[in-house]
Amino acid sequence: MTYGWMGTILRVNLTNERITKEPLDKQIATKFLGGRGLNGITLFRELKAGIDPLSAENVLLFGMGPCNGTLSLGSGRYNITAKSPMTGGFGDSNSGGFWGPELKYAGYDQIIIEGKAEKPVYLWIDGDEVEIRNAEKLWGRDTFETEQILKEELEDPRIQMLYIGQAGENLVKFANVMTGLYRAAGRTGMGSVMGSKNLKAIAVRGNNGVQIAHPDKLQEAALKAYDILYSDWFAQLFSEEGSPCLVNIYNNQLGALVTRNFQAGVFEGAEKILGKYFDENYKVANKGCFSCPLHCGCFYMIKEGPFAGLRWGKAEFATIINFTSRVGVDNIEVALRAGILTDKYGIDLISMGGVLGFAFECYEKGILTAKDTDGLKLEWGNGDAVLELVRKVVFQEGLGKILSEGVKRAAEVIGKGSEDYAIHTKGLEHIECDPRGLQAWGLGYAVSSRGADHLRALPAFEYTISPEKAKELYGTEKAADRFSTEGKGKMVKWFEELRAFADSMEICKYITRTGLLFPEPLVEMLNAVTGMEYEPDDAFKIGERIVNVERAFNVREGFSRKDDTLPKRFLEEPLMEGPSKGHVCDLEPMLDDYYKFRGWDVKTGLPTRAKLEELGLSEIALELQKMGKIPPEKKTRLEKK
Amino acid sequence: MKKILMVNPQLCTGCRICELVCSLSRDGECNPLKSCIRVLKLAEEGIDIPGVCQQCETPLCADVCPVDAISRDLDTGALIIREEICVGCRACSMVCPYGAITMDISKRIMIKCDLCGGDPKCVKFCLTKALIYDRPEVVDALRQESALRSLVRPLLKSREKATPTKEKKK
Repeated sequence: MTYGWMGTILRVNLTNERITKEPLDKQIATKFLGGRGLNGITLFRELKAGIDPLSAENVLLFGMGPCNGTLSLGSGRYNITAKSPMTGGFGDSNSGGFWGPELKYAGYDQIIIEGKAEKPVYLWIDGDEVEIRNAEKLWGRDTFETEQILKEELEDPRIQMLYIGQAGENLVKFANVMTGLYRAAGRTGMGSVMGSKNLKAIAVRGNNGVQIAHPDKLQEAALKAYDILYSDWFAQLFSEEGSPCLVNIYNNQLGALVTRNFQAGVFEGAEKILGKYFDENYKVANKGCFSCPLHCGCFYMIKEGPFAGLRWGKAEFATIINFTSRVGVDNIEVALRAGILTDKYGIDLISMGGVLGFAFECYEKGILTAKDTDGLKLEWGNGDAVLELVRKVVFQEGLGKILSEGVKRAAEVIGKGSEDYAIHTKGLEHIECDPRGLQAWGLGYAVSSRGADHLRALPAFEYTISPEKAKELYGTEKAADRFSTEGKGKMVKWFEELRAFADSMEICKYITRTGLLFPEPLVEMLNAVTGMEYEPDDAFKIGERIVNVERAFNVREGFSRKDDTLPKRFLEEPLMEGPSKGHVCDLEPMLDDYYKFRGWDVKTGLPTRAKLEELGLSEIALELQKMGKIPPEKKTRLEKK
Repeated sequence: MKKILMVNPQLCTGCRICELVCSLSRDGECNPLKSCIRVLKLAEEGIDIPGVCQQCETPLCADVCPVDAISRDLDTGALIIREEICVGCRACSMVCPYGAITMDISKRIMIKCDLCGGDPKCVKFCLTKALIYDRPEVVDALRQESALRSLVRPLLKSREKATPTKEKKK
């Protein structure tokens, strides 16, 4: 394993402070690549079913891929994986920045963190030398301060860091892990798992290079991929405006933009939260993550008014929408300020938007009153209340304490019919895109291994390809119709395979967003880096294998078809106006279709023995059999006879 | 006329592709520490500056080298370190105004940009044109234009604002 992979896994037990290095299993690396795939199978093997996600029994995995740290496009990503305190199932989050590559340069493909430190600590990885250090002086500090203090202590500008903020320390369920100042592993509460282990930060410095099997081929493949990428109108727009360009697409073109907790799909105050408006009035420079030709990060500054001079390195579509249309605010500066707060506190701004929308709607419906909110008027459009409630959630004051558990548990506590306004799947809040205007997205949310999540599938072709192309790929022209349910099972499967494959190479999702680089150009890059001879079909196989492992993990935790669902609002309440007017998400037929293509049991949504064995996952089939989740082998054979 | 490699920090996104392609084409590995171009990141301010040898007209590095390992390539104008002569004393690194001469920590010799023999890879892979490779007078004209344009930006802005308002009043 000379090329691409570094060949070593670092295992750190925080309880007994034992640090060990293990060789990377070549067979596993070949079958799962790295990153998300490697983390998935590791998590399945390391954990027993039913453990408490915030106990010392949980493990926290940091996974790099073979292409991390190389010229391969967008190769700065890495995955953090653990059992999720939000969903109680598979927890996983992917982040950009510069930390992942540096860990490769330090010589590791994966870190496994076990146990729990007695006092706050941070991990200092200086190549071969690994040290658990006291972090008491960092505890209570926000991420920005943590970066400054550690930079000073370690005295080298090259050092890359990830850390949690106060939200992770306080075990807010949807705390994130920040990668450097501006990038986040946001979803599923990986920051609170890190906080539960008393681990504040991991600082890394490396001196090795990633060896490349075919240096010339990699350069050719990268140049070719740049051209393909920029042949896409979407990528061009993204490289200029960043993801805020999506505000226009989701609001004006699709009518599927979360507005007042999904009460509507178009926001009347959208004009001043558009990507173009942000670009012209606030953006200072385009910034990229490691090895990224797309550079969608927007460094911005508020130039006038009481907050003039306030500046930050990242504003996303999600940053803007979760603190504007989701809570009825039409002032983009509220979102820019809230974005800085959530990054500094280290908390997932998508779930934060979810709990804010929920609380505001409960207030509108009279379920919550000023008495419950310490006098805060949670009226749609009240920007000051948005900012104050963010703080209350992080520090778990009053209503914030209840909301810090996420909308699912908050609704259980509040009751009084508030469940109807808790917009989540499997306990995780939805992002900003309304599935009533995008059927395949609805299916993607429902079946995602990490709860309501758009990135497991991200079926962008649903509104970007021609009917002819849709027929070629998914067997029906209707797949290109965003209101049709036909062909969506196959489309979501196709995209899930692509995302799992790219997440395991560790290539950014925005680079592969429209699917134009899948599978050939990605496989070409992977082969140039690793010297392996993967075929395009292998990419689908690897992706499918990873999806099945994550599914099996959730099945072991008790999940089944009944959990693959959407909030009542998406299934029953049609959108009242805009380009998606009159539509709901028609989930059930898509689910049947999807399980069928997956080769899973259509009634239960559980993976079948035949599928698991076909993918070389007999160990998983055996474990599910022991739990009674799939029938024993003999029976199946008898039935066949 | 020999071409020069010029950096425009305003266009640099900080992606470090230049570092990767440099070490990849020189050593067959992706390793920023073996790259002759390195990006300084001022993350708090959103500023990134690639640091690379400017092939000085009066090269202090060549002057100070005790073993005369640094000489000019007559075709490209690049200052070249001859590996077999370099003793790794770091004198060149001490006097370089750009900090653009560094040590290859596995070979224990100094490395610097050699302009890839006249076709710099970093320039080829820089998608925002933060790195340009052209004749000095062309580079100077581009620099001057960009500097002067930013100088008059407030003036231009005031015109943009003024025109539509007047029209509306009519």
